[in-house]
Amino acid sequence: MAPQPAADPADADAAAAAGTGTPADRVLTAAIRHSAGRAAAICLLAAASAAASVALPAALGHTLDLALDGSGEAARWTALCALLVAAEVLLDAVSAHLTGTTDARSTAWLRRRGLEHLLAVGPRRAARFPHGDLVTRLSGNAAEAGAVPTTAATAVSSLLTPLGALVALLLVDPWLAAAFCAGVPLLVLLLRAFARGSSDSVSRYQRVQGEIAARLVEALAGARTLAAAGTAGRERARVLAPLPELAAQGRRMWHVYGQAMVGSGVLVPLLTIAVLAVGGVRLTAGELSVGELLAASRYAALAAGVGAVTGRIGALVRSRAAARRVGELLAVPPVAYGRRTLPPDGTGRLELRGVTAVRGGREVLRGVDLVVPGGATMAVVGRSGSGKSTLAALAGRLADPDEGRVLLDGVPLDGLDPAELRREVGYAFERPALFGDTVGEAVAFGAYDPGPGAVEDAARAASADAFVRRLPAGYGTALADAPLSGGEFQRLGLARAFAHAGRLLVLDDATSSLDSVTELQVSRALTDRVRAGTRLLIAHRVSSAARADLVAWLEEGRVRAVGPHEALWELPEYRAAFTAGDGPGVSDGPDALDTPDALDTPGAPGGPAPRAARAAAEEPR
Amino acid sequence: MSPVSRTAPGPARRLLPRAARFLRSRRRVLVRLGGWSLLESAQTFLVGYGVAQALDRGFLAGSTGTGLAWLAVAAAATVVGGLAVRGVFRGLADLVEPLRDGLLRRVVTRALHGAVAEPARADNSSVSRLTHQTELARDSFAGLVLVLRSFVFTAAGALAGLASLHPLLLLVVLPPLVLGLLLFTATLVPMAARQRDFLDADEALSTGYGAVAAGLRDVVACGAERRTAGEADALVATEVEAARSLARWAAARTVALGVAGHLPIVLLLFATPWLLERGLTAGALLGALTYLTQSLLPALRTLMSALGAAGTRLLVILDRLVGEDPPHGAPAAAKSAAAPSAALPAARSGTVESAATPAETPAPAPARPAAGSRVELRSVTFAYGPGAQPVLREVDLTVEPGEHLVVVGPSGIGKSTLAALVAGLLTPGRGEVLVDGAPPRAAGRSAGELARQRVLIPQQAYVFTGTLRENLLYLCPDDLSAGAPDGTPGGAPEAGPEEERLAASVAAVGLGPLADGLGGLDAVVDPAALSQGERQLIALGRAHLSPAPLVLLDEATCHLDPEAEARAERAFADRPGTLVVIAHRISSAHRADRVLVMDGARATAGSHRELLDRSRLYRDLVGRWHTGREGRCAVRPGRSRAPA
Repeated sequence: MAPQPAADPADADAAAAAGTGTPADRVLTAAIRHSAGRAAAICLLAAASAAASVALPAALGHTLDLALDGSGEAARWTALCALLVAAEVLLDAVSAHLTGTTDARSTAWLRRRGLEHLLAVGPRRAARFPHGDLVTRLSGNAAEAGAVPTTAATAVSSLLTPLGALVALLLVDPWLAAAFCAGVPLLVLLLRAFARGSSDSVSRYQRVQGEIAARLVEALAGARTLAAAGTAGRERARVLAPLPELAAQGRRMWHVYGQAMVGSGVLVPLLTIAVLAVGGVRLTAGELSVGELLAASRYAALAAGVGAVTGRIGALVRSRAAARRVGELLAVPPVAYGRRTLPPDGTGRLELRGVTAVRGGREVLRGVDLVVPGGATMAVVGRSGSGKSTLAALAGRLADPDEGRVLLDGVPLDGLDPAELRREVGYAFERPALFGDTVGEAVAFGAYDPGPGAVEDAARAASADAFVRRLPAGYGTALADAPLSGGEFQRLGLARAFAHAGRLLVLDDATSSLDSVTELQVSRALTDRVRAGTRLLIAHRVSSAARADLVAWLEEGRVRAVGPHEALWELPEYRAAFTAGDGPGVSDGPDALDTPDALDTPGAPGGPAPRAARAAAEEPR
Repeated sequence: MSPVSRTAPGPARRLLPRAARFLRSRRRVLVRLGGWSLLESAQTFLVGYGVAQALDRGFLAGSTGTGLAWLAVAAAATVVGGLAVRGVFRGLADLVEPLRDGLLRRVVTRALHGAVAEPARADNSSVSRLTHQTELARDSFAGLVLVLRSFVFTAAGALAGLASLHPLLLLVVLPPLVLGLLLFTATLVPMAARQRDFLDADEALSTGYGAVAAGLRDVVACGAERRTAGEADALVATEVEAARSLARWAAARTVALGVAGHLPIVLLLFATPWLLERGLTAGALLGALTYLTQSLLPALRTLMSALGAAGTRLLVILDRLVGEDPPHGAPAAAKSAAAPSAALPAARSGTVESAATPAETPAPAPARPAAGSRVELRSVTFAYGPGAQPVLREVDLTVEPGEHLVVVGPSGIGKSTLAALVAGLLTPGRGEVLVDGAPPRAAGRSAGELARQRVLIPQQAYVFTGTLRENLLYLCPDDLSAGAPDGTPGGAPEAGPEEERLAASVAAVGLGPLADGLGGLDAVVDPAALSQGERQLIALGRAHLSPAPLVLLDEATCHLDPEAEARAERAFADRPGTLVVIAHRISSAHRADRVLVMDGARATAGSHRELLDRSRLYRDLVGRWHTGREGRCAVRPGRSRAPA
């Protein structure tokens, strides 16, 4: 449902530039170099096998002639034929094995490289690729590109057999070679008549299929309604309504395909018969022996196998296209890190100096100067699109500013050692993605394992402990088996951040799905139970802003004001930032705009879990 | 995905009865397919035979004309055989398309059943099964049918040809052919298992990579790149291992091909002097070699590569698609339907909002049997698993007919579970739930029966592509029964009581402006173009229109702004019948006859005033509500319509 994040035009340009071919060739050469030895071996094996199969008909023919003559030499030649056959079979077996293992090896190499690169590129720069697309590039495309070394190796040798056969045919009798060469274009032309009239049935078929899929997606999104109303059967009929049309298009597809097949199945036998006919005439004339005729018919069939070469070339072209898609990903420059560490006695002072960020060609942050004193809680408020989430991403270096610097305890973030950065800066998101097999592992997920005690403490602080204990196997419940609501997901994400809390914690709309009560509990726990430090909250609720030490009020990418909530509240425009006009009687849902990877999308309603510095006084007891 | 047993015969044995049934019911198609394929046998036979005769009677006998004539016969047979391919494909379509239809039906049925049984886990993975895997099955099955059929009929033609040239030829050719086929068959089973391992590994890899791609932000933010790369590495390593062992079997298969396809040629050569002594002619020898090299060897080659790869793939995919029977309704649905709350795409709260605005003029109540259901919970206890802590413990509650009850409490405390119990989607572990004196049970009841009994509107509003009218009449049993076979309730709109009721409900829940904006009741609605709030409005209109004497709104107004929410809730309060509202915002409580506060496993019911005295949580909730400025905070700005 959620649309993909809009890619920057600049990104699109970069992607387009990346797609112009060089990355593909770089991937291909790298893959070939990685498997150079094996590819060479396969090439040699295939060439040897081709040599054996080209030599065999001649040997076969000669053996036949000797046998027909009743010559004693026939036995020796028969043995030679047996040897050639055995050699061909064994060479093919070894090369099949080697091809399989080499493909697997170079595919694995490409995938490992691709995934490591993706992790090094980070979410901001990878945002130009939709998720599904990334998976295709790393799984399917990598496998196709990984087959390049062997495909290239066998393509070379697959030319050898037909060419060798043609030469052999020429050697047996030039007339036969002439007959073969004349027959090919004639037959191809003749057969094209059959293959005519291809149709658009494939695209129609796919369209109907897409329609069924879309109907299913729609019905699945309404699973709860279907369950409650008992309308699953009715929805089934609705989803399957286009099925007859699909079957009709499918039949047309087979019809068209069958027509095309008529040609390809007939070509080789007819060519062979043509060569036999000319050969027969030559035989009658005494210019050719029976054995030579046998060899000739075999060579004609082998030479006609040149059609298979186009298949090889097609495979190479496809592989290259796949390699380009892998290459586009590899061409994205990884995020560069420094080696500096933070001062050990730092309090987590966060500083933004002249920060500008461009998203989708628009400056979402413009010359922002902002200081969050060490240990303070700052709420960032502002209307949708004012740049709050981008600010959150910059504060912990999930993205880099286009201009300006971000410093933590005086150290520029881009100079910081990555391990230090992630240990000291934590994030909780509106819609976290959880990793790990169990619920407990999902909370423990991070640069280090905080241990079961810390996991449970963090879960308690995030008001997650109670519902986790109600799951079938508590913290050991498989994540896939845990029916979690949006709010529960959010709380596990919070627990994960709490369990690894460092000197800066960024909560990007991370309590938006929590009801007022739970949010209050979480914000209290954040003060009492989580390691003290600086907090940056992206907030929508007034209560969140009110509980923060300081509020940064963003408007159209600029800091409009910074100060305590009470002071700002006197400004009518500040108040308006929370109540901003919602004309129709409907407030839109959050799903449409925010996707987990869209770091720069405007925020949605809801509030973070702030420090309850001031809140305690406000809270009714 | 589904755990597949490691042993190869498993899926094959499981699928065999179904496959047999499928083929038995298509005997005619098979006969037709066989008929066309016989032409292929004839072609194979005539090509070899023609070559032999052309040599013996023509070229070697000095009669060029006769030789060429026999070759012309072979050529004609080839062309006719080629044309037969068209007929083969027609038969193929009659075999393959019904299979795909059946698979698609099954996938859809299973996806919907699964989603209904566990809505919290409804995802779109079945859509990939729908498009990708059914297509793979279709293509693999077609390939398999083509290749198997081609091999059988080609082999038959070639063997018949060999026998007609000289019966002794069979003695030379058959033993290695049979031996090779046996060897190949022996590799099939282990190879299928390896192939399945490979497909499993590949799928695990795609899933793992998919999770990383979707959660890249989180991986980087957690600093877990190395750990994630390590885990992905393990997936890659598993697949490489599977590919390696697959490659070993591919090599073994090549040897089997050597025995079945190449060895007969060598044996024939060795036997040539002996056969010549027994009257084999030069032409027959050439014909025999033609059969072996031109017909049998290529047919064997395609058979072995297709059976190895496509066959296994088909087996695995079919087993996955067809394997287990879809859960037929009842037990699964009753056990764990309607997990506690929202599904994954987090449905978020709006913001805290203001106290109720002054009442508007109540909309005219739709004409329908009034009354309302009486709901009773008698010391109900419910847990989601045997080892899990109960979500509800010993809950007692009575909702009188016509009463308006609002349920409040922290998220995840069991409010939705309560609604699901009352709706009969869940059954209590202990105690009993009674609606009008009988336990509600959703399983096994038709949509119409359910809609006459109660309506439950969840947080995730369901709107389907269809007219607004169809969407609104979704829960009206009369239209359910009169619905078109494709499930869209049809019937020409008539100006009558139904039209009036529609208009009244549209006005009551505040759907008017949206309906106008969409272009009226008969405009087709595109759900993707609606905001969540708009979808909720449509679902509310649908519930309002239904004849149900009991309406359960489970945070069904969470995406509406406070004013719209208040209006919708008042519309339901004015509607005859019992109303239970699971509140997303505490302000809903102000409009209730009675409030149920859920706090942990306990539940306390009472009027607003009573609860202020008795429940600390309620005081907290309401107190916070009235404290300071929070009350004035409203929802954020928003689009009224999302771009599609």
